[in-house]
Amino acid sequence: MFFVFVFIWSFAILAGATTVWILAWAIRNGEFRDLRAGARSIFSEDEPVGRVTDYFPGEGPTGARS
Amino acid sequence: MSDPQVAAPQEEREAVVTRIAVDRSAEWVVTIYWASALFWLCFATLAGLISSIKLHSPDFLGGVEWLTFGRVRPVHWDSAVYGFAGTAASGTLLWLQARLCQTKLPFPNLLIAGGVVYNLGVLLGVIGVLRGQSTGVEALEMPLYAVPLLVIPYVFIVIANFRMFFTRRSTHTYVSQWYLMAVTIWFPILILAAEACTNLGAVDGVSQAIANWWYGHNVVGLFATPTGIAAAYYLIPKVIGKPVHSYHLSLLGFWSNAIFYNWAGTHHLTGGPLPAWTITVGVVGSMMMFIPVVTIGINHHMTMLGSFHLLKTSPTLRFAVMGSMVYTLASFQGSLESLRSHQEITHFTHYTIGHVHFGMYGFFAPLMFAMMYYAMPRLTGNEWSSARLIRIHFWCTFFGMLLYTTAMCWAGIQQGRMMNDPKIPFLEIVAFTKPYLWLRTLAGLILVSGTIAFLINFVRIVSFHKIRFATPTLFNTDRDWNELMRKEKELS
Repeated sequence: MFFVFVFIWSFAILAGATTVWILAWAIRNGEFRDLRAGARSIFSEDEPVGRVTDYFPGEGPTGARS
Repeated sequence: MSDPQVAAPQEEREAVVTRIAVDRSAEWVVTIYWASALFWLCFATLAGLISSIKLHSPDFLGGVEWLTFGRVRPVHWDSAVYGFAGTAASGTLLWLQARLCQTKLPFPNLLIAGGVVYNLGVLLGVIGVLRGQSTGVEALEMPLYAVPLLVIPYVFIVIANFRMFFTRRSTHTYVSQWYLMAVTIWFPILILAAEACTNLGAVDGVSQAIANWWYGHNVVGLFATPTGIAAAYYLIPKVIGKPVHSYHLSLLGFWSNAIFYNWAGTHHLTGGPLPAWTITVGVVGSMMMFIPVVTIGINHHMTMLGSFHLLKTSPTLRFAVMGSMVYTLASFQGSLESLRSHQEITHFTHYTIGHVHFGMYGFFAPLMFAMMYYAMPRLTGNEWSSARLIRIHFWCTFFGMLLYTTAMCWAGIQQGRMMNDPKIPFLEIVAFTKPYLWLRTLAGLILVSGTIAFLINFVRIVSFHKIRFATPTLFNTDRDWNELMRKEKELS
């Protein structure tokens, strides 16, 4: 039973400490600094904001890039 | 029509080539994971159908000991969660992380070998349960010899995930990446701790039951859910071409999910011989889940606002929006379900089964389908062969789930009220639920029809069934192979 407690508590403390460390890293790294740019980070020059990127096969608007 | 890729400025061209090089690197690995996901989805649905039929027609396959209810129902769960959800989520994780990090998928051979071993592990486990070697611990029924075959391949995925993250070329960690990184930290801890506390016998009695349901609840919430949400946070903005409504809320959602979900598991044991505070902790954890759920729900709805007409034209969006909406509904339902006053009626009834399926097949599975619909053309360089089959798949999933959830939840409420009335004989209650159990089998058949439609499309796209017309889904029919090769080298 003693070892189970050691196992569970060390696991819990390790997991908790990792979480706090990751949060601290993210703040230090400026991950939360520019949220507007963050939201836009999945867009690129060829798939910019405003371009729809999925259609049913064969049913996209004519004249779209293919 | 002019050729836009030639005419395009250098940055745009560079972006296209990077994207294609990343997608190409993931082609085989991800296709293999998703193909196995589809196999296990069919297998799990079959096992589910057999279990469902047995509930209203107990003689069905009654003479086959391998297919008795006590074996085939755990097999349904195991093949759905470890088989389907495990491989679908792993494929999603690998592709999405590669894309968001803008790196090539590392260790493709190792990951393919891992995928093969993982499938073998699920197969061994499932055969073990069918042979009667179930451990008897719900959600962890697989015999112990199958477990290493599930855990070791997952270690490969964790390593690949961290490798991509640490060699990333993108400058920002997108909200989906938060979820994906978290999954790879949470899941190994979860399964190791749960196996240690149950099948390996580190604790026993009531403590074992607590560990069991801590796991049973978290395997959904800390493995399937984050992957599904990561997919939604990428697909919805990407398809409609609009950034997430509030990035602020999305991060709040992630951290509150990380803090609260883990506490909720004990609400499964309401009424059990546990200290009352342990259950109260579970109920409080469940209620706190309103915070992440509301933030995610608001965010996806507000992002979609003004773009709902695109549901008509985009298969990915249909599934992704269905998944996101059901996420909000199923989570609200789940939080309320944890309350003791609610459980007085619905505990130990079909209501819970309705809720579980609503979450897994109404939220998680559609988001995985959305992921496949979006990514497969980009991975294979081919287009889906039939729009009609996609529509059939969607409407079967939609109506199948609608029927399943309403039938089961309604039956559950009535069943619970009748069970609380001591004057009603038990057999009368069983007879009352029978028509609803038939409806469940019907719902299962509708879902199967959808899966078959998807399977046909999937087999065709993988076996390079080319269609002739140009489609905007691909954007890459005039690949400049030399440039692509250069980029591939540069990325690796």
